[in-house]
Amino acid sequence: MHKLVFVVLMLTLWWLLQAVQLDEELALSVVHEGKRAVDRAAHAAAQQLDDEKLELGVLAIDSEEAAAAARLYLRENLRLEPDLTPRADGYLRDAVEVRVLDIVDETMPFPYVYRNEEYDYEVTFRRPGVVLIVNIVYPRVFAALPPIEWELKGAAELVY
Amino acid sequence: MKQILVFLLFSGMFCWLMFSPVYKHVLVLRQALLQQEADYLLEVGASGRYGYIDETLIAESMARLEESGFEPDKLEYAVGSTSGAEAGNASMPLARGEGIKLIIRYPYDGLMNIDRLIGIEPEDDAFLSASGMKMSEYVP
Repeated sequence: MHKLVFVVLMLTLWWLLQAVQLDEELALSVVHEGKRAVDRAAHAAAQQLDDEKLELGVLAIDSEEAAAAARLYLRENLRLEPDLTPRADGYLRDAVEVRVLDIVDETMPFPYVYRNEEYDYEVTFRRPGVVLIVNIVYPRVFAALPPIEWELKGAAELVY
Repeated sequence: MKQILVFLLFSGMFCWLMFSPVYKHVLVLRQALLQQEADYLLEVGASGRYGYIDETLIAESMARLEESGFEPDKLEYAVGSTSGAEAGNASMPLARGEGIKLIIRYPYDGLMNIDRLIGIEPEDDAFLSASGMKMSEYVP
Protein backbone atom coordinates (compact mmCIF):
# COMPACT_ATOMS: atom_id res chain seq x y z
CA MET A 1 0.00 0.00 0.00
CA HIS A 2 2.69 2.48 0.97
CA LYS A 3 4.37 1.84 -2.36
CA LEU A 4 1.19 2.80 -4.16
CA VAL A 5 0.93 6.01 -2.17
CA PHE A 6 4.57 6.73 -2.95
CA VAL A 7 3.99 6.19 -6.66
CA VAL A 8 0.99 8.50 -6.70
CA LEU A 9 2.93 11.17 -4.82
CA MET A 10 5.85 10.90 -7.22
CA LEU A 11 3.51 11.11 -10.18
CA THR A 12 2.00 14.29 -8.80
CA LEU A 13 5.41 15.82 -8.20
CA TRP A 14 6.68 14.83 -11.65
CA TRP A 15 3.58 16.23 -13.28
CA LEU A 16 3.88 19.48 -11.34
CA LEU A 17 7.51 19.94 -12.38
CA GLN A 18 6.64 19.25 -16.01
CA ALA A 19 3.76 21.74 -15.85
CA VAL A 20 6.01 24.46 -14.44
CA GLN A 21 8.69 23.72 -17.04
CA LEU A 22 6.27 23.79 -19.97
CA ASP A 23 4.59 26.96 -18.74
CA GLU A 24 7.90 28.76 -18.31
CA GLU A 25 9.02 27.75 -21.79
CA LEU A 26 5.78 29.09 -23.25
CA ALA A 27 6.02 32.26 -21.17
CA LEU A 28 9.42 32.99 -22.67
CA SER A 29 8.13 32.71 -26.21
CA VAL A 30 5.14 34.91 -25.36
CA VAL A 31 7.33 37.61 -23.84
CA HIS A 32 9.57 37.58 -26.91
CA GLU A 33 6.61 37.83 -29.22
CA GLY A 34 5.15 40.64 -27.13
CA LYS A 35 8.40 42.56 -27.28
CA ARG A 36 8.58 42.16 -31.05
CA ALA A 37 4.99 43.41 -31.34
CA VAL A 38 5.81 46.44 -29.18
CA ASP A 39 8.93 47.19 -31.22
CA ARG A 40 7.08 46.93 -34.52
CA ALA A 41 4.23 49.07 -33.20
CA ALA A 42 6.63 51.73 -31.91
CA HIS A 43 8.52 51.73 -35.20
CA ALA A 44 5.32 52.05 -37.24
CA ALA A 45 4.06 54.82 -34.96
CA ALA A 46 7.31 56.76 -35.27
CA GLN A 47 7.08 56.82 -39.08
CA GLN A 48 3.74 58.68 -39.23
CA LEU A 49 4.79 62.03 -40.69
CA ASP A 50 2.66 65.11 -40.12
CA ASP A 51 1.93 66.23 -43.70
CA GLU A 52 1.05 69.82 -42.82
CA LYS A 53 4.32 70.37 -41.00
CA LEU A 54 6.19 68.54 -43.74
CA GLU A 55 4.97 71.16 -46.21
CA LEU A 56 6.73 73.77 -44.07
CA GLY A 57 9.86 71.68 -44.14
CA VAL A 58 9.51 70.38 -40.57
CA LEU A 59 9.79 66.63 -39.98
CA ALA A 60 7.30 65.89 -37.22
CA ILE A 61 5.21 62.97 -36.04
CA ASP A 62 1.44 63.15 -36.35
CA SER A 63 0.32 62.10 -32.87
CA GLU A 64 -3.13 60.84 -33.86
CA GLU A 65 -1.85 58.75 -36.72
CA ALA A 66 0.98 57.50 -34.54
CA ALA A 67 -1.45 56.27 -31.88
CA ALA A 68 -3.61 54.62 -34.54
CA ALA A 69 -0.60 52.92 -36.15
CA ALA A 70 0.67 51.69 -32.79
CA ARG A 71 -2.68 50.13 -31.99
CA LEU A 72 -3.00 48.58 -35.46
CA TYR A 73 0.43 46.93 -35.28
CA LEU A 74 -0.15 45.74 -31.72
CA ARG A 75 -3.48 44.27 -32.79
CA GLU A 76 -2.13 42.50 -35.83
CA ASN A 77 0.95 41.13 -34.12
CA LEU A 78 -0.75 39.97 -30.93
CA ARG A 79 -4.01 38.96 -32.63
CA LEU A 80 -6.33 41.38 -30.85
CA GLU A 81 -9.74 42.92 -31.46
CA PRO A 82 -9.94 46.69 -32.11
CA ASP A 83 -10.45 47.33 -28.38
CA LEU A 84 -7.27 45.31 -27.65
CA THR A 85 -9.09 42.33 -26.15
CA PRO A 86 -7.82 38.99 -27.46
CA ARG A 87 -9.25 37.52 -30.64
CA ALA A 88 -10.63 33.99 -30.55
CA ASP A 89 -7.62 32.59 -32.46
CA GLY A 90 -5.06 34.42 -30.33
CA TYR A 91 -3.12 32.97 -27.44
CA LEU A 92 -3.62 35.79 -24.92
CA ARG A 93 -6.58 35.69 -22.55
CA ASP A 94 -6.51 39.14 -20.97
CA ALA A 95 -6.80 42.48 -22.69
CA VAL A 96 -3.57 44.23 -23.60
CA GLU A 97 -3.23 47.66 -22.06
CA VAL A 98 -1.27 50.52 -23.57
CA ARG A 99 0.21 52.15 -20.47
CA VAL A 100 2.35 54.80 -22.09
CA LEU A 101 2.37 56.21 -25.60
CA ASP A 102 4.59 59.25 -25.48
CA ILE A 103 5.62 61.15 -28.54
CA VAL A 104 8.87 63.04 -28.40
CA ASP A 105 8.16 65.83 -30.86
CA GLU A 106 10.47 67.97 -32.95
CA THR A 107 10.51 70.89 -30.46
CA MET A 108 12.66 68.96 -27.96
CA PRO A 109 16.38 69.66 -27.76
CA PHE A 110 18.14 66.71 -29.42
CA PRO A 111 19.81 64.52 -28.27
CA TYR A 112 16.93 64.29 -25.86
CA VAL A 113 16.96 61.90 -22.91
CA TYR A 114 13.50 60.55 -22.23
CA ARG A 115 12.96 59.36 -18.67
CA ASN A 116 9.99 57.60 -17.20
CA GLU A 117 10.40 57.13 -13.44
CA GLU A 118 7.18 55.14 -13.04
CA TYR A 119 8.29 52.37 -15.37
CA ASP A 120 12.00 52.84 -14.83
CA TYR A 121 12.71 53.52 -18.47
CA GLU A 122 15.29 55.74 -20.06
CA VAL A 123 16.14 56.20 -23.71
CA THR A 124 18.04 58.80 -25.72
CA PHE A 125 16.50 60.20 -28.88
CA ARG A 126 18.49 61.85 -31.64
CA ARG A 127 15.36 62.51 -33.67
CA PRO A 128 11.63 62.73 -32.97
CA GLY A 129 10.36 59.39 -31.78
CA VAL A 130 7.81 57.36 -29.90
CA VAL A 131 7.92 55.54 -26.56
CA LEU A 132 5.47 52.71 -26.10
CA ILE A 133 4.91 50.75 -22.88
CA VAL A 134 2.37 47.97 -22.94
CA ASN A 135 1.08 45.69 -20.22
CA ILE A 136 0.64 42.04 -21.17
CA VAL A 137 -0.70 39.32 -18.88
CA TYR A 138 0.63 35.84 -19.60
CA PRO A 139 -2.14 33.24 -20.06
CA ARG A 140 -0.93 30.49 -17.76
CA VAL A 141 -1.67 26.97 -18.92
CA PHE A 142 -1.43 25.59 -15.39
CA ALA A 143 -1.95 27.36 -12.09
CA ALA A 144 1.34 25.92 -10.84
CA LEU A 145 3.07 29.23 -11.50
CA PRO A 146 2.30 32.56 -9.84
CA PRO A 147 0.62 35.08 -12.19
CA ILE A 148 3.00 36.60 -14.70
CA GLU A 149 2.62 39.98 -16.31
CA TRP A 150 5.04 42.23 -18.09
CA GLU A 151 5.43 45.89 -18.87
CA LEU A 152 7.01 45.64 -22.29
CA LYS A 153 8.82 48.77 -23.38
CA GLY A 154 9.83 49.90 -26.81
CA ALA A 155 11.07 53.07 -28.46
CA ALA A 156 11.63 54.07 -32.06
CA GLU A 157 12.82 57.12 -33.93
CA LEU A 158 11.65 58.73 -37.11
CA VAL A 159 13.79 57.35 -39.91
CA TYR A 160 14.61 59.53 -42.89
CA MET B 1 1.19 -10.32 -8.40
CA LYS B 2 -0.54 -7.32 -6.89
CA GLN B 3 2.28 -5.08 -8.04
CA ILE B 4 2.02 -6.30 -11.60
CA LEU B 5 -1.70 -5.67 -11.49
CA VAL B 6 -1.17 -2.13 -10.22
CA PHE B 7 1.45 -1.55 -12.91
CA LEU B 8 -0.91 -2.74 -15.62
CA LEU B 9 -3.69 -0.51 -14.32
CA PHE B 10 -1.43 2.49 -14.36
CA SER B 11 0.59 1.64 -17.46
CA GLY B 12 -1.23 4.01 -19.79
CA MET B 13 -0.76 6.84 -17.39
CA PHE B 14 2.88 5.89 -16.81
CA CYS B 15 3.57 6.02 -20.51
CA TRP B 16 1.81 9.33 -20.82
CA LEU B 17 3.68 10.81 -17.89
CA MET B 18 7.01 9.61 -19.22
CA PHE B 19 6.64 10.50 -22.87
CA SER B 20 4.12 13.32 -23.20
CA PRO B 21 6.55 15.98 -21.87
CA VAL B 22 8.88 15.12 -24.75
CA TYR B 23 6.09 15.53 -27.27
CA LYS B 24 4.96 18.79 -25.68
CA HIS B 25 8.53 20.00 -25.74
CA VAL B 26 8.78 19.27 -29.46
CA LEU B 27 5.57 21.26 -29.97
CA VAL B 28 6.90 24.24 -28.04
CA LEU B 29 10.15 24.08 -30.00
CA ARG B 30 8.40 23.83 -33.34
CA GLN B 31 6.23 26.79 -32.47
CA ALA B 32 9.33 28.76 -31.49
CA LEU B 33 11.11 27.80 -34.72
CA LEU B 34 8.09 28.80 -36.80
CA GLN B 35 7.90 32.12 -35.01
CA GLN B 36 11.60 32.70 -35.50
CA GLU B 37 11.27 31.95 -39.20
CA ALA B 38 8.22 34.25 -39.51
CA ASP B 39 10.17 37.05 -37.84
CA TYR B 40 13.18 36.52 -40.07
CA LEU B 41 11.11 36.41 -43.23
CA LEU B 42 9.30 39.59 -42.21
CA GLU B 43 12.57 41.27 -41.33
CA VAL B 44 13.95 40.45 -44.78
CA GLY B 45 10.72 41.01 -46.71
CA ALA B 46 9.94 44.35 -45.09
CA SER B 47 13.48 45.64 -45.45
CA GLY B 48 14.43 48.44 -47.82
CA ARG B 49 15.72 46.00 -50.42
CA TYR B 50 12.60 43.91 -50.88
CA GLY B 51 9.24 45.28 -49.75
CA TYR B 52 7.56 41.99 -50.66
CA ILE B 53 7.59 38.28 -49.73
CA ASP B 54 7.45 36.31 -52.97
CA GLU B 55 7.77 32.67 -53.97
CA THR B 56 11.58 32.75 -54.01
CA LEU B 57 11.78 34.05 -50.44
CA ILE B 58 9.18 31.51 -49.34
CA ALA B 59 11.09 28.68 -51.02
CA GLU B 60 14.26 29.73 -49.20
CA SER B 61 12.34 29.87 -45.96
CA MET B 62 10.98 26.36 -46.57
CA ALA B 63 14.51 25.12 -47.13
CA ARG B 64 15.61 26.64 -43.83
CA LEU B 65 12.68 25.08 -41.98
CA GLU B 66 13.38 21.73 -43.63
CA GLU B 67 16.79 21.75 -41.97
CA SER B 68 15.03 21.93 -38.60
CA GLY B 69 12.91 18.90 -39.42
CA PHE B 70 9.77 20.43 -40.91
CA GLU B 71 8.20 18.84 -43.95
CA PRO B 72 8.04 21.55 -46.63
CA ASP B 73 4.88 20.16 -48.24
CA LYS B 74 2.89 20.67 -45.08
CA LEU B 75 3.98 24.25 -44.52
CA GLU B 76 1.41 26.89 -45.47
CA TYR B 77 2.34 30.48 -46.04
CA ALA B 78 -0.11 33.37 -46.27
CA VAL B 79 1.13 36.83 -47.19
CA GLY B 80 -1.00 39.96 -47.10
CA SER B 81 -0.84 43.69 -46.61
CA THR B 82 -2.71 46.34 -44.64
CA SER B 83 -4.10 48.01 -47.77
CA GLY B 84 -5.16 44.72 -49.35
CA ALA B 85 -2.59 45.10 -52.11
CA GLU B 86 -0.65 42.06 -53.22
CA ALA B 87 2.43 41.59 -51.04
CA GLY B 88 3.96 38.68 -52.93
CA ASN B 89 4.77 40.42 -56.19
CA ALA B 90 8.45 41.14 -56.72
CA SER B 91 7.77 43.59 -59.53
CA MET B 92 5.44 45.66 -57.37
CA PRO B 93 6.99 46.02 -53.92
CA LEU B 94 4.93 47.65 -51.19
CA ALA B 95 6.11 51.18 -50.49
CA ARG B 96 7.20 52.36 -47.10
CA GLY B 97 4.37 52.83 -44.65
CA GLU B 98 2.38 49.80 -45.65
CA GLY B 99 2.35 46.76 -43.41
CA ILE B 100 3.26 43.29 -44.65
CA LYS B 101 1.40 40.47 -42.90
CA LEU B 102 2.68 36.94 -42.78
CA ILE B 103 1.22 33.74 -41.35
CA ILE B 104 3.04 30.41 -41.41
CA ARG B 105 1.04 27.35 -40.47
CA TYR B 106 2.05 23.77 -39.85
CA PRO B 107 -0.14 20.85 -38.74
CA TYR B 108 0.33 19.33 -35.29
CA ASP B 109 1.44 16.21 -37.14
CA GLY B 110 0.07 13.68 -34.67
CA LEU B 111 2.06 15.08 -31.75
CA MET B 112 -1.12 15.25 -29.69
CA ASN B 113 -1.98 11.60 -30.28
CA ILE B 114 -0.24 10.63 -27.06
CA ASP B 115 -3.00 12.39 -25.13
CA ARG B 116 -5.34 9.54 -26.12
CA LEU B 117 -3.65 7.51 -23.36
CA ILE B 118 -5.38 9.65 -20.75
CA GLY B 119 -8.59 9.93 -22.74
CA ILE B 120 -8.19 13.29 -24.52
CA GLU B 121 -9.12 13.22 -28.21
CA PRO B 122 -6.84 15.48 -30.25
CA GLU B 123 -8.34 17.87 -32.78
CA ASP B 124 -7.73 16.74 -36.34
CA ASP B 125 -7.39 20.03 -38.15
CA ALA B 126 -5.44 22.00 -35.57
CA PHE B 127 -2.43 23.99 -36.73
CA LEU B 128 0.63 25.50 -35.21
CA SER B 129 0.80 29.03 -36.48
CA ALA B 130 3.22 31.90 -36.33
CA SER B 131 2.31 35.33 -37.59
CA GLY B 132 3.35 38.94 -37.63
CA MET B 133 3.01 42.25 -39.36
CA LYS B 134 5.83 44.64 -40.10
CA MET B 135 5.96 47.97 -41.85
CA SER B 136 7.61 47.86 -45.24
CA GLU B 137 10.75 49.96 -45.53
CA TYR B 138 10.97 49.90 -49.30
CA VAL B 139 11.46 53.33 -50.83
CA PRO B 140 11.11 53.43 -54.62
